[in-house]
Amino acid sequence: MMKKNYEFLEHTADIGIRVKAKDLKALFKNIALAMFDVMAKRNSDLSPQSSKLKKIIIKQRAGSLEELLVNWLNELLSLSAVKESIFTDFNITKLDNDNLEAEVFGEDIKNYKLNTEIKAATYHQLKIEEKDTGWQAEIIFDV
Amino acid sequence: MSDIWQGPLEKLNDYCWRIPKSYKPGMRVAGIIYADERLLKDIRQDKAPEQVANVAFLPGIVNASLAMPDIHWGYGFCIGGVAATDPEEGGVISPAGVGYDINCGVRLIKTNFQYEEIKGRIKDLIYVLFSDVPSGVGSKGEIRVSEREEREILVKGAKWAVEKGYGTEEDLECTEEYGAMPGADPLAVSQRAYERGKAQSGTLGSGNHFLEIQVIDQIYDSKLCDEFGLTLGQITIMIHSGSRGLGYQICDDYTRNMIHCLSKYNINVPDRQLSCAPVNSSEGKAYFSAMKCAANYAWANRQCLMYLTRRAFEKVFGISWEKMGMKLIYDVAHNIAKLEKHIINGKEKTLCVHRKGATRAFGPGHPALPPRYKKTGQPVIIPGDMGRNSYLLVGTQKAMEETFGSTCHGAGRIKSRTAATKSIDADALLRELESKGIIVKASGKATIVEEAPQAYKDVNEVVDVVHKAGISKRVCRMRPLGVIKG
Repeated sequence: MMKKNYEFLEHTADIGIRVKAKDLKALFKNIALAMFDVMAKRNSDLSPQSSKLKKIIIKQRAGSLEELLVNWLNELLSLSAVKESIFTDFNITKLDNDNLEAEVFGEDIKNYKLNTEIKAATYHQLKIEEKDTGWQAEIIFDV
Repeated sequence: MSDIWQGPLEKLNDYCWRIPKSYKPGMRVAGIIYADERLLKDIRQDKAPEQVANVAFLPGIVNASLAMPDIHWGYGFCIGGVAATDPEEGGVISPAGVGYDINCGVRLIKTNFQYEEIKGRIKDLIYVLFSDVPSGVGSKGEIRVSEREEREILVKGAKWAVEKGYGTEEDLECTEEYGAMPGADPLAVSQRAYERGKAQSGTLGSGNHFLEIQVIDQIYDSKLCDEFGLTLGQITIMIHSGSRGLGYQICDDYTRNMIHCLSKYNINVPDRQLSCAPVNSSEGKAYFSAMKCAANYAWANRQCLMYLTRRAFEKVFGISWEKMGMKLIYDVAHNIAKLEKHIINGKEKTLCVHRKGATRAFGPGHPALPPRYKKTGQPVIIPGDMGRNSYLLVGTQKAMEETFGSTCHGAGRIKSRTAATKSIDADALLRELESKGIIVKASGKATIVEEAPQAYKDVNEVVDVVHKAGISKRVCRMRPLGVIKG
């Protein structure tokens, strides 16, 4: 099981998280990992990676880094629903202010117990900041 | 809890408070919150009042940015918000004023049963309903449709279900908009949204969605109860669901698109989640057409859920649903935008009314009401949390004058899901509910804890405010006997 790499923020109706990482690519990856960790837990009786992971290529364009993050997460949520998969690994191959390219790896949703349905990632109080030690983001999900 | 909101709230009367337009430069109108002093303390606990002020920035907003007593912190709009804009004055439409779960709503069904007659069968009913009505995260239904049929659902709404044999004409008459908004354009819906919605017709979903067996435990207006055919001790059923993945995808698609409309149309809002476009722009029209598709899908969904519920009752009791008197009282949307006619300064105007966690509450005589409810006013259904009560109210003329014919939609959250998860034990809660005579079946314990009664305001206090403020009128109160949670 993944060690939690995020903390919860207080929000009355929805779920907010704060995520840290050494660089921007790792930040985008960690937020995606955290989002799927909130959504689902892998069935404990399964051996690790007992099924083959499906690879999907994602390309996103946006007008700003914030927009790119929201689009990235919402694209993952949407694909997760359509492909009936939980994404567990992310290889971000390209990331600048307005472009993202990534390979994402998913496993059949049947191997998971679903806890929380996340409808979408929102812009509300969204923060992406560069700190002395790396990058930090805060984001609120509509659940 | 987050910091207490320190902004100005001027008392207009015991149930009405104003955030003056001067609070923030950029507000076009004042904010008005319906609450009493007790509820106001809760309301100040989070950022919902700030969001009421933010909504007042929207171009073309008319009268005031309104909030109902169940208001709580959302994203962009607060939950429990009502905002009307005038398209002729550059008024905008905002996906955030509707939400991701487009046409999330509730329906109330009556039965001929008295509690005393079937109190020993509630458990059976809940178990059959739990197995026959698909629920849970990403749940998929047994009512499978082709893509061509899905397009038909988006246009016809609940009428599609009735044509398939999942209901009657009378059900449509007892549904807001008769179960379908005209002008839904399936071409405004992305391929991805279709795919996301495909397998989910006739599913309850998760989170705060539920199916509940209830008993009427308090009558407030016996004349109105007679009109609706409701008596003390009678069994009712409430269904709370929405447009599922299809609605989320449509909201996401158009929020993405409308972020760019803020600069294109020179719109200044303090939160990007309030992205919007003029109602009469190509972007605004496209969103509205797509939103109607999701709204119609949700009405079809709740119609299918009612069909499955009637069938489950037939299975348990071995008699037809008609013989059990399982008639729909009404179905209301509480996340939606509509073009409606309202009187503003003595002149009739067509406005774009956003209700985000708010219910339409049209008064007696309104042309949108079916003949059977012309005299009573529109039935308004207010679900509470699973441990307390739910209500049937009716709309009033005062709501037409003050709130664009709108009222509250539920109890409103008070405790975050994370705080609830930390402080509440699922098994202890289930035992406590069972001792109160409430059986709960859920697909996961996480939902039970997140949706615990302690996480909500007391719906009785919320309804007390809308009743005393006169924006709707109490008819009767129900208490839960059995609950199915997604």
